[in-house]
Amino acid sequence: MPDIFVAKDAKKERKRPTVSIQSADRWQKDPAAKKPKKATVSYPKTHKEKEKLPGHTSNPLTSFSYYPDHAKFITQDPEERVILLLRRHPITNLRWIIIAAIFVMAPLFLAAFPIVDFLPIRFQIIVVISWYLLTLAFIFEEFLSWFFHVNIITDERIIEVDFVNLIYREITDANIDQIQDVTVQMGGVIRTVLNYGDVVVQTAAQIPQIEFEAVPNPDRVSRILRELRVEEEQEKLEGRVR
Amino acid sequence: MEPIIPILGFSVWIVAKLLFLFALLIYIIFSLVVVRQVNLMTETLEVGFESPLKTAAGAHLLLAIGVFILALIIL
Repeated sequence: MPDIFVAKDAKKERKRPTVSIQSADRWQKDPAAKKPKKATVSYPKTHKEKEKLPGHTSNPLTSFSYYPDHAKFITQDPEERVILLLRRHPITNLRWIIIAAIFVMAPLFLAAFPIVDFLPIRFQIIVVISWYLLTLAFIFEEFLSWFFHVNIITDERIIEVDFVNLIYREITDANIDQIQDVTVQMGGVIRTVLNYGDVVVQTAAQIPQIEFEAVPNPDRVSRILRELRVEEEQEKLEGRVR
Repeated sequence: MEPIIPILGFSVWIVAKLLFLFALLIYIIFSLVVVRQVNLMTETLEVGFESPLKTAAGAHLLLAIGVFILALIIL
């Protein structure tokens, strides 16, 4: 019985699906087409392979080190590999460098502003030496605060090590598979010109948010995190979870 | 003629010297804390720059001790 109540377009949609012989051959010839897309993370095995990677450097004072040569932290697992070591962009140190320069130059103005002239000369010498000692302590503490405030991305976790001051430290970590959202925030003239910004990572861990503050190449950091998340999903599918 | 504190009978500069030495002693204790914390930091995070940092912390402590001894001698 003809379908007189069905529109012509619907009749066209009722065509039986056909499988062409050509596509079937391709399916059989290319088994790799069945496999899910592999992650693009590849781990360098030798130092020479590391040197070829963009962003890799042997400089321990760098703010962005891809597969750093020497990077270990206290809670690292034996099989865990450090993929990225991040610090705040060096320009963030400009404030305390300027303050330190003012501190260094300050005793030179004592001739114009005789603040300690009432003291005997031997006391004035000790005052000036003590001033430079305090300036040195200020510079050292600021440097240590910048140097040891690092964000580490391994193949399993993201870690934030923060030495707030000499007597207080905070270490936060979250597994890669707990990452729910990665946001890159980069605004302002200086940040845009120097290419640094914040990477905010929303996690399903107890600490809901880990923030990589003022890190260089934030877009690349986001891309690396994305690749690692895909790799983690791949590991789960293949049953290679550690 | 050095000014003398009437109640104590000492020269005011002796009191000033004691205060300076006390402040420098506190600073030496601070330097010891810096050395200890640098050791703790380098144990927490190793990036291949531990030697220069420990050397700088040690030099800072020696400098603080040196200034203390200098103050003890010349003040």
